[in-house]
Amino acid sequence: MKLNGFRKKSPWILHYNTGSCNGCDVEILACLGPKYDLERFGILNRGNPKQSDILLVTGPVTKRTRDRLIRLYMEMPEPKVVVAIGACACSGGVFRGMYNVGNGVNNFIPVDVYVPGCAARPESIIDGVVKALEILEKKKKDMELPHRCKELKRESSRRKLLAECTRRYHEGR
Amino acid sequence: MGKKITIPFGSQHVALPEPIRFVFQTENEKIVDVDVDVGYVHRGIEKACMTKFKYMQVGYVVARVCGLCAISHTLAYVTAVERLMGIEVPKRALYLRILVSELDRIHSHLLAMGHLAEVAGYENLFMHTFRDRELVMELQELVTGNRIQFDYACIGGVNRDLTPEVEKELREKLKTLKEKVLWLKDVYENDYSIKYRWKGVGVITKEMAKELNVVGPPARASGLATDVRNEFDYLPFKEVGYRMVVRDEGDVYARNMVRAEETVNSIEMLFNVLDGMPEGDIKVNVKGLPEGESFVRIEAPRGELFYYVRGNKKMVLERLRIRVPTFANIPVMRELFVGMEYADVPAVVISFDPCLSCTAR
Repeated sequence: MKLNGFRKKSPWILHYNTGSCNGCDVEILACLGPKYDLERFGILNRGNPKQSDILLVTGPVTKRTRDRLIRLYMEMPEPKVVVAIGACACSGGVFRGMYNVGNGVNNFIPVDVYVPGCAARPESIIDGVVKALEILEKKKKDMELPHRCKELKRESSRRKLLAECTRRYHEGR
Repeated sequence: MGKKITIPFGSQHVALPEPIRFVFQTENEKIVDVDVDVGYVHRGIEKACMTKFKYMQVGYVVARVCGLCAISHTLAYVTAVERLMGIEVPKRALYLRILVSELDRIHSHLLAMGHLAEVAGYENLFMHTFRDRELVMELQELVTGNRIQFDYACIGGVNRDLTPEVEKELREKLKTLKEKVLWLKDVYENDYSIKYRWKGVGVITKEMAKELNVVGPPARASGLATDVRNEFDYLPFKEVGYRMVVRDEGDVYARNMVRAEETVNSIEMLFNVLDGMPEGDIKVNVKGLPEGESFVRIEAPRGELFYYVRGNKKMVLERLRIRVPTFANIPVMRELFVGMEYADVPAVVISFDPCLSCTAR
């Protein structure tokens, strides 16, 4: 399908801050800036979860943002990849064990790529996103099930047969 | 009279990287009521500093309150504890602290200006500003070892010295940075389309600013001469050529111009710091435990930052209280929104440069 080709060449990212200190968010902004140009991979930052393929999450998940995070994840269409950016998003970081945080994104949604660092450097964020593209490709292939195509064929021949039968039935009459 | 429509802005939005939620009640594109919710990023840092971490470690924990003004938070805590314990900090360490805090201010102001340009739909200027901001980030990495979240200040001094090679490179890069910032300032000041987008939008009058206790660049843009660097001697700012920037229009444009002029002033201060850098130690040994209470005010890039520290001769502090600049600016933001056109909301929100990680902690 053509859509999968587009998805490979130009994946769109969604960025959500689940209680980070803005350090990693600013580094993501710097990634989209001119020096470390993420856009040269065709990656655009869009706010709409329904148009996005990659979810970038920064920060330890606080109690208030937890529901929003899960909702954003559910709203994204398949296939989707989650990248946890920074030490806090990976494991909770310095905020681990504080009364209002949930110690890392993988406690709530499945994470595919972990980018370490406090704050994560733009180079490593780019590495993480490029890795996420590979995983996206893999996930896309897993989604295309071969038997589904066969089924479609059988159905079409069956429909032809049915049409033939109806025609003969009418003729016979 | 039109129909009332409720428009939520956030908690996840393209214009804001942070989770903040405004619920606007609008009537014919005019806002009649607004509800602000800032508590999404509350992590409980104050409590953790009072129970979990020792007083020597707290400086590195409060740096994680906010990534953009990390050095301001550390500096405030460290200064408060030093005053409490009566520690004499070497002069060289004070100068190095000015160096890093002003670098931080430049990068934060450039980020705010670029972000504002992006929200106004001026993508090109955003890219230009961010390209020049990368120069500051490189300088920060040279001096401190990390781009963001550098744990530079510690109790009794600073953690890293400035070598002659770094100083030479610093001077060269600062020269290029100054040229570029002057060019940027010229664009922000004289651009034709920006003028129409920003002039006369979101005006805070001087009386309003006084009444609602506005701090930082928004206060200085509306003619209120408040700057902690001028009032409180936490670092020797007057020795290195600090001057206050005050404008009296009070709109989005003026706030942006205050930031631009402060950036130029900061670069001038950095040259003076490098010229007058005293020789000597960068750190003194700390003995004893904090006892008693002290408070410190510091000028973070967004305005006045207040720290209150109380210790009772234990390794863990008894109380730590943080009051941040954005918290002081939220009432006036709310006041401004009522009666404003909805289309101006992103520009006005970003012109305050809100930092919700600081506010909710």
